[in-house]
Amino acid sequence: MQKQDIIKSFKDSLFTGLIALALFGPIVGLRTASKGEGLFITPQWGVVFLLVGLCILGRFLININSARRTEFKIFSTLSSKFSSITEDKAKHFAITGILFAVVFPFLPFTDRYFMDVAIMILTYIMLGWGLNIVVGLAGLLDLGYVAFYAVGAYSYALIATTFGWSFWICLPLAGLFAAFFGILLGFPVLRLRGDYLAIVTLGFGEIIRIILINWYEVTNGPDGITGIPRPSFFGLPFKRSPDEGEMSFHTFFGLEYSTMHRIIFLYYLILVLALITNYFTLKIRKLPVGRAWEALREDEIACKSLGVNPTNTKLTAFAIGAMFGGFAGSFFATRQAFISPESFTFIESAIIVAIVVLGGMGSQTGVVLASIFLIGITEIFRDLEQYRMIAFGGAMVLIMVFKPKGILANRKPTILMHGDKK
Amino acid sequence: MSNLLSVEKLTMKFGGLVAIDDLSFDTKNNQITSIIGPNGAGKTTVFNCLTGFYKPTTGQMYLHQADNKVSLRKYTDFKIAHVAKVARTFQNIRLFPAMSVLENLLVAQHNELMIASGYSLYGLLNLKSYRDKEQLAVNKAKYWLDIIGLTHRADDNAGDLPYGDQRKLEIVRAMCIEPKLLCLDEPAAGLNPKESAELNKLLKFIKTEKKTGILLIEHDMSVVMGISDHVVVLNYGKKIFEGTAEQTKKSKEVIEAYLGVDE
Repeated sequence: MQKQDIIKSFKDSLFTGLIALALFGPIVGLRTASKGEGLFITPQWGVVFLLVGLCILGRFLININSARRTEFKIFSTLSSKFSSITEDKAKHFAITGILFAVVFPFLPFTDRYFMDVAIMILTYIMLGWGLNIVVGLAGLLDLGYVAFYAVGAYSYALIATTFGWSFWICLPLAGLFAAFFGILLGFPVLRLRGDYLAIVTLGFGEIIRIILINWYEVTNGPDGITGIPRPSFFGLPFKRSPDEGEMSFHTFFGLEYSTMHRIIFLYYLILVLALITNYFTLKIRKLPVGRAWEALREDEIACKSLGVNPTNTKLTAFAIGAMFGGFAGSFFATRQAFISPESFTFIESAIIVAIVVLGGMGSQTGVVLASIFLIGITEIFRDLEQYRMIAFGGAMVLIMVFKPKGILANRKPTILMHGDKK
Repeated sequence: MSNLLSVEKLTMKFGGLVAIDDLSFDTKNNQITSIIGPNGAGKTTVFNCLTGFYKPTTGQMYLHQADNKVSLRKYTDFKIAHVAKVARTFQNIRLFPAMSVLENLLVAQHNELMIASGYSLYGLLNLKSYRDKEQLAVNKAKYWLDIIGLTHRADDNAGDLPYGDQRKLEIVRAMCIEPKLLCLDEPAAGLNPKESAELNKLLKFIKTEKKTGILLIEHDMSVVMGISDHVVVLNYGKKIFEGTAEQTKKSKEVIEAYLGVDE
């Protein structure tokens, strides 16, 4: 490495430090605290200098790394490790992952907390896979995906509490409702692309949330819906003391009652739902409609010149993506037994889009890795309370620095003429 | 020989700008008709009207089929390719760059494959009838790839092909929809002489073997004069000359339009 390179990187990192100082100075440095009467400002310059120091150091390391890639073993091996994960190797990874997911509830270290986190990660994986159809394949940036999640959850909650139908009837209905809303959103945005589409979908997500808050007669407004029925194991409820003449899961199988039964059942339920989403996506990608989605993402005008109907193609993408969002929503409702508009804010959409984009647009395995990475990291730092969002942001920055196209960005053709020789 | 396409009194205005002014011409079956003219003469606008991207201000365009004539004005957008079977290529290549060569050719057969896959239902069930149809589509793609000599690159991304191959691929992709009329917008732009010669061969093959009428916009005179049966010359949206390639070369109006008038 040359001397002037180091000096240049050093100067650049000092400049970064200056920007960091300007940002952190007022935001972190000056803290208002209430002591007795009124508010006082308590300076925290120590924290500011620590943060600025970290920024300078980080920038310096990145600079040196880009100037001389071989020297810095940590970064280059890390990034080459990730790029060596092609979709082929991802297949082995996927099989191992599924096997691990199946035995996970019975591993010795698995406790209630781990199961809850695993269920949450799986929900996000399913949402990520659903959104991947719209964003990754059809190339329609949808920032309001949480709306379909909400529609699914509320459809399930309302049908189940009003008519008392079982989970297995409500689930497809919730999916259908969500798909219908997908088409409803699809129509006005047919002519929009890129940024404009993103803004309208973002607005759509907010519209749904605000309707849920204000349509008090139906949705119970901000109070949400309580007492949503839990799913049953093929008719066997998970109850400690079943009603007269009714069997419950633990009495039927002669087991000791445990709340873990329900958790494990929910875990497998979301695992199966997620795997169905994945299987469906992988299948449909190889069908004409899947190819048309990808072609539409590549060039809409060329699609029209070849007789592909862009309206139908886009609407199917919206509808199918929304349907899986709806399934995930009804799972969410039955798991929580309580839903309110609070759960369907924009940040949820943002997280799902982040998972799809960081995973590598259109890559199914990438979605899994990104979900584990983003949701997992945020969970690990849960003790830090609101600061855990820093970990979330940090995880995003790391991916964007080392894999700007997403963790897995390799696309494999949907059909091969010469077979799989590479 | 019977007419394939009749353009009658076509006018296209963008606000106050008259891009095409009262243009009429006919093309015949199994012929290559070239539209030439200086830059900005309105050639691409004619194409955009024919292929449904623009709706002409006035005028009619008819495609003559076995016993009836189809008005192209009735179809817009994707229906031109789907129903009226008019295919086109673009001045700046519009392939699907991140998709493989084979996939590009399969997207061109989208509508047949959609029906064969029972709007995805049979495809999801993996029925044999769909798999057979898909194999037929692959065979058709292979047939065209053999002709342009790109079979060995079928599984590579279309965007990774050399420029000349991308041009040829775009033409055969348009041929995969089995068009009655093929509209090519400057297919020889950016090709070297060897590639231009190959292009000529391909276009002659499409004309004679596939019995497809070709409408061609081109600046490369070696292509135009080498293969055109009929030439229409435009300038400022008006037709200034129409005739065979030989006649066009000698025409005073055409020379004036390209080189200017002697003072």
